Amino acid sequence: MGSRWSPYDNNGGTCVAIAGSDYCVIAADTRMSTGYSILTRDYSKICKLADKAVMASSGFQADVRALQKNLAAKHLTYQHQHNKQMSCPAMAHLLSNTLYYKRFFPYYSFNVLGGLDNEGKGCVYTYDAVGSYERVGYSTQGSGSSLIMPVLDNQLKSPSPLLLPAKDAVTPLSESDAVDLVKDVFASATERDIYTGDAVEIVVINAGGIRRESIDLRKD
Amino acid sequence: MDLNLDAPHSMGTTIIGVTYDGGVVLGADSRTSTGMYVANRASDKITQLTDNVYLCRSGSAADTQIISDYVRYFLDQHTIQLGQPATVKVAANLIRLLSYQNKNMLQAGMIVGGWDKYVGGQIYSVPLGGTILQQPFSIGGSGSSYLYGFMDQSWKEGMSKDEAEKLVVKAVSLAIARDGASGGVVRTVTINSEGVERKFYPGDSLPLWHEELASVNSLLDLLPEPMST
Amino acid sequence: MSKATVELPPKAGFNFDLCRRNDMLTKNGVHAPSFLKTGTTIVGLVFEDGVVLGADTRATEGPIVADKNCEKIHYMAPNIYCCGAGTAADTENVTDMISSQLLLHRYATGRESRVVTALTLLKTHLFGYQGHVSAALVLGGVDITGPHLHTIYPHGSTDTLPFATMGSGSLAAMAIFESKYREGLTDFYIYILYLCQSIARDEGVKLVTEAICSGIFNDLGSGSNVDVCVITKGKVEYLRNHQKPNPRTYISSKGFSFLKGQTEVLSTKVTLLEKPQQEEGVDKMEE
Repeated sequence: MGSRWSPYDNNGGTCVAIAGSDYCVIAADTRMSTGYSILTRDYSKICKLADKAVMASSGFQADVRALQKNLAAKHLTYQHQHNKQMSCPAMAHLLSNTLYYKRFFPYYSFNVLGGLDNEGKGCVYTYDAVGSYERVGYSTQGSGSSLIMPVLDNQLKSPSPLLLPAKDAVTPLSESDAVDLVKDVFASATERDIYTGDAVEIVVINAGGIRRESIDLRKD
Repeated sequence: MDLNLDAPHSMGTTIIGVTYDGGVVLGADSRTSTGMYVANRASDKITQLTDNVYLCRSGSAADTQIISDYVRYFLDQHTIQLGQPATVKVAANLIRLLSYQNKNMLQAGMIVGGWDKYVGGQIYSVPLGGTILQQPFSIGGSGSSYLYGFMDQSWKEGMSKDEAEKLVVKAVSLAIARDGASGGVVRTVTINSEGVERKFYPGDSLPLWHEELASVNSLLDLLPEPMST
Repeated sequence: MSKATVELPPKAGFNFDLCRRNDMLTKNGVHAPSFLKTGTTIVGLVFEDGVVLGADTRATEGPIVADKNCEKIHYMAPNIYCCGAGTAADTENVTDMISSQLLLHRYATGRESRVVTALTLLKTHLFGYQGHVSAALVLGGVDITGPHLHTIYPHGSTDTLPFATMGSGSLAAMAIFESKYREGLTDFYIYILYLCQSIARDEGVKLVTEAICSGIFNDLGSGSNVDVCVITKGKVEYLRNHQKPNPRTYISSKGFSFLKGQTEVLSTKVTLLEKPQQEEGVDKMEE
């Protein structure tokens, strides 16, 4: 009678990333849950992969951890071989390959990768679980993504990919406005998504380096 | 953890009825569970049908409650029409009737016990399919499988009221110790020519059997004192 | 449900063939529309001269909060209220239907409704639907025989308890009751009551609030505010939003403007509708 055991679980959570002309904001809430239970209210879904590449992941956190360790190992090898940090676009492609490598037993993780590209412009890459990816101006993944995405679409307005010549994907907002928007969309998503809450951790990358901050969210 | 809270309420139970010299003693534990969750740890599974007949219920809580509600109603009418108390046999037969006629929709195993002036104390067992059996003693519910040997050995014809009560409490506490679906307290009902007497034995007053641990008020008592800052 | 219970067609009661058909369709991948569920914490407790009922105010539809401030403590009679968990439509309709039956019963008898009457009406209704009406209820009230508290499960079984919890947050709430409820709330305060009438009541409200908060914070199906209802002899206090422990944490100082035309228009083509031809020469029917 009982359903078959599953190797996967969904630990919920929401991730957002916004790319600006000279910065990138990556944010995720810190709630980890299963079913109707909260496992912890203080779990970081954000992982620094390289000096200019930061990944936020929702989905199944055991797979996310395995993926993070896998990428860290590959990045270490890369540093030994090239004596430098991996660039964000390179890390983006490595992440895609790493995900597709497990095409028939995927990592159940939904990632956004943010950082600065080789010209110092903000970049955001968004993924599915098996490695399909795209460079965009902003993205959101996870349980609250369907609530947040339309707001970002309206406020940040990505240029249509159908337009020719192609336009730059970065958003016109200033860094502080982008951080303010992120705080607000998380507070809003927490109102309506039961898997999002407790706190939001925000990582900002710019020419000066990496900065972290966090604000409280509803705890119910 | 899968508590399975949506499962219908069932009484994985220990129920027992014994006759003695002059009356009957009914006994039951008090645990009602939904899946793995104890929904009620102090339930009363010995339901009154008339002044002199009581019913031990096991199986689906909803089914056995509705059966006893109907039978109580029928017996009240019967008592008024007859102008005297209904006999235990009539009560047991009504239970059997509902059990048998609706056997495809019910999950109910019951023990009827009572006293009347014609026959004295009687125990009737009405198990799952709607059979009726008059027995000197009867056990039922999931906990009963641990008790067959014990009851065969311990029940004696012509016991005193005190001996019978002691036997019932001992049997239910033995089953509670072994059966995970039984627990809580022990309730007994003693019926004889003098009337009805209910007794209640709290869980921490029951004897401890082989390797059983004593109950504690709070698990917090077992933990070391929290460190002061 | 055991195998034996479905082999024979029932000779009385409702027909559940459509329920079995729906199960079959679900197994084959045809899904029925989802219902509004109140993944809920509801509780009740008995104190010296009355009962306290409590509920959270979140209604969910899957992972989405459908209502942040709904009412889960339903009116049954002037002296009886009922908390509902399960499918929102079922709890609302079942309590409404039984409430009107109680009103008619009061008109017929000219007496105050009793809690057992409400209990029996609810349980026989739910038993008839064999668990398909998913209403899990905590029923409380004060009548001529004193304060009463009952729980009713969707299959029609009932319990009588000094303190009760229901819904997805029932375990979190029961943890509070099991560790903090004292018989004192009924017995110990009896003699103190002569000195101070309101202690037991306030103590009860505090414990109920704490139990609901435990559900709100630890169960994802429960959230938002605490509703409390105190019923004593001849008096009902419905404390709607007794506590609001979850205010919004951040509001953008600038606010937002949602401009029209945020979607790129790539091309435009206007097609005029043709004017429909008037049909003539058809005689109208006359009487």
